[in-house]
Amino acid sequence: MKLRSNNDNQHQLLELRHLTESTYVLRIDRRGLSFRSGQHILLGEAGSIHNREYSVYSGEKDDFFEVLIKEVDEGLVSKQLKKLKPGSTLQIEGPLGFFTIEPELVDSGKFLFVATGTGIAPFHSFVRSYPKIKYQLLHGVRKEEEAYERNAYPTEKYKLCTSQDEKGDFQGRVTDYLRQNPVSADTHCYLCGNFQMIHEVFDILEMQGVPPHQVHAEVYF
Amino acid sequence: MKKIAFKTLGCRLNQYETDALASRFHKGSYQIVNYNEPADIYIVNTCTVTNQSDQKSRQTIHQAHKVNEQGLMVVTGCMANNHKQSLLETPGIDYVVDNERKSSIFSIIESHFRGEHPDPEGFDEDLFSYEPAFKTFHTRSLIKIQDGCDNFCTFCIIPSVRGRAVSRPVNAILDNIREVLDHGFKEVVLTGVNIGRYSFEGTSFEQLVAKILELPGDFRLRISSIEPDGFTPHFFELFQHEKLAPHLHLCLQSGSEAILLKMRRMYTAREFRQLAEKLRYRYPDFNLTTDIIVGFPGETEKDFQESLQMAKDLRFSHIHTFKYSVRSGTRAERMDGHLLEKVKNQRSALVRKLSDENKLLYFEQMAGKPQRMLVERISADGIARGYGQSYIPLRTKIKGLERNQFLDVVPDSVYFGKETAMWTKDLRKTF
Ligand SMILES: Cc1cc2nc3c(=O)[nH]c(=O)nc-3n(C[C@H](O)[C@H](O)[C@H](O)COP(=O)(O)OP(=O)(O)OC[C@H]3O[C@@H](n4cnc5c(N)ncnc54)[C@H](O)[C@@H]3O)c2cc1C
Repeated sequence: MKLRSNNDNQHQLLELRHLTESTYVLRIDRRGLSFRSGQHILLGEAGSIHNREYSVYSGEKDDFFEVLIKEVDEGLVSKQLKKLKPGSTLQIEGPLGFFTIEPELVDSGKFLFVATGTGIAPFHSFVRSYPKIKYQLLHGVRKEEEAYERNAYPTEKYKLCTSQDEKGDFQGRVTDYLRQNPVSADTHCYLCGNFQMIHEVFDILEMQGVPPHQVHAEVYF
Repeated sequence: MKKIAFKTLGCRLNQYETDALASRFHKGSYQIVNYNEPADIYIVNTCTVTNQSDQKSRQTIHQAHKVNEQGLMVVTGCMANNHKQSLLETPGIDYVVDNERKSSIFSIIESHFRGEHPDPEGFDEDLFSYEPAFKTFHTRSLIKIQDGCDNFCTFCIIPSVRGRAVSRPVNAILDNIREVLDHGFKEVVLTGVNIGRYSFEGTSFEQLVAKILELPGDFRLRISSIEPDGFTPHFFELFQHEKLAPHLHLCLQSGSEAILLKMRRMYTAREFRQLAEKLRYRYPDFNLTTDIIVGFPGETEKDFQESLQMAKDLRFSHIHTFKYSVRSGTRAERMDGHLLEKVKNQRSALVRKLSDENKLLYFEQMAGKPQRMLVERISADGIARGYGQSYIPLRTKIKGLERNQFLDVVPDSVYFGKETAMWTKDLRKTF
């Protein structure tokens, strides 16, 4: 995919941080590439014809780029990237996408972030880039161990919803939590992760009176 | 004088680019001939949006070979970007020129005939350096305002063959339109890959349209194909302007929320519905046409019925139906639930049937309502054909007409022919 020309899209892998057996963070040399929190990049090994979309996990002002990746069982790129060693060269295209927050809303708006699994990545970036942002984050996972780097968020702002163990702040899916804890109609809602969750949350938010233009979605799969 | 023939496949943007190239060759003293005639040079501007378009593009290339095996064959367009290597290896293709260098084809050919064996890759990339197309194949003047797309819908190959969104400078667009109007064109159609995302130094798409509408002259502006995202209330107001044609080809793709999410479209089905209803509330005779993809991976019967229902409710007067077709390297290729061709065929037949029914309903609704017809063709039997502002194909037997003239008419009955159209009466005679 030709987005940036010549070799200016090559970046070095600085560090690989394992968060669980399957999920890891890649820290990548930024090389001055600017982006807006919520955007994603196309990432692959240098020279490979395969790349995939990954939301930027790090903040707009960080010196490096980070992405949060879960190795998918039948996957290709998520497996390849996990095997890389610091110093390897990666290829980045982008940044791309419109899952961003209007600058004028960052200070004044009230936000709900709803993620499943690694769908928390863009929210991690929002929180790092906009430390004063007023938000509530619902993170839906199967087990507590998938609460990726939860200390990045103040306890009262982060609700871990676990569907397969009882160790979360809430036992059940994010959709169950949201039904029981409605939001006010002036909330700006950002949803990221699998399409079933997003589909359901759209309906719930509609019933709670949130206008469609305040609901933003980033579908991973 | 060398003879050159052109063939365009696919979208309006390709048409625009072919028109501009043809004009350039005409000015450069080449004789333009029909594609099925012997020519010294054949230019095929290809499309790669579906498998079918790839096949059609290949057939078109072979067709020229049959007419004149010696003719120089230049292949350009999206297939040239997507399948460059295989085209280069195809016997009989002399040059493969990617989209970024399409505007250099005149220079490449000239260089070829000077015996220089030019390498197309050595020419500068330039998306907008097309001259205004005076020698066009149409009465409408297509104006390119942007290229590329950043949306990355999961089924779509276009971002990889057209690249990222780039907008043309406002002044270049306005100058281009002034020139074509001076040259006598009466209808301007905006083209690009995703024109709603136009943005140049603070000027948005809506602001650009407003500026174009301010230009003096007796012409009309058609927005044509646009993605249904990012409209502000001001967009609806623009259609009050009599120069702006009350027609949009608003790409729906699916009426199912689940499928729209899997497609990673930028809007929900409910937002689309609201938008269309708002337009119709404001302008009851507004003509909406659309694209629908049937058989996207995982599309259930329920999802498909939601598309049909939406198309029925919103009364699209024409539905361009695409059977989902795998494009290599897209996210949809890797999704589960790919459907059998048989199911896609059944679904697409149902959408086409609905499209025909909707068209008749719309034509019935428009009977008796004045249209400003732009005469495009007058056949030997004296029947003039063209389109009204609402993009209804119109026919009239009024004598003494000329191509490219506006005519006020009243459509009164449906004509069932190769293309369904409406017969009209001369408005002057109806009072
Ligand atoms: C805009 C965007 C941003 C994304 N950001 C991230 C991100 O920050 N972190 C991240 O881990 N992934 C993200 N993804 C998903 C990512 O692009 C890849 O699809 C994923 O890493 C799998 O790639 P793969 O090559 O290993 O498997 P593929 O060969 O692409 O896919 C194999 C199968 O796994 C399914 N699949 C894809 N992703 C997942 C998943 N997370 N869980 C379960 N099944 C899945 C696919 O639908 C497919 O059927 C994002 C996707 C998009 C569209």
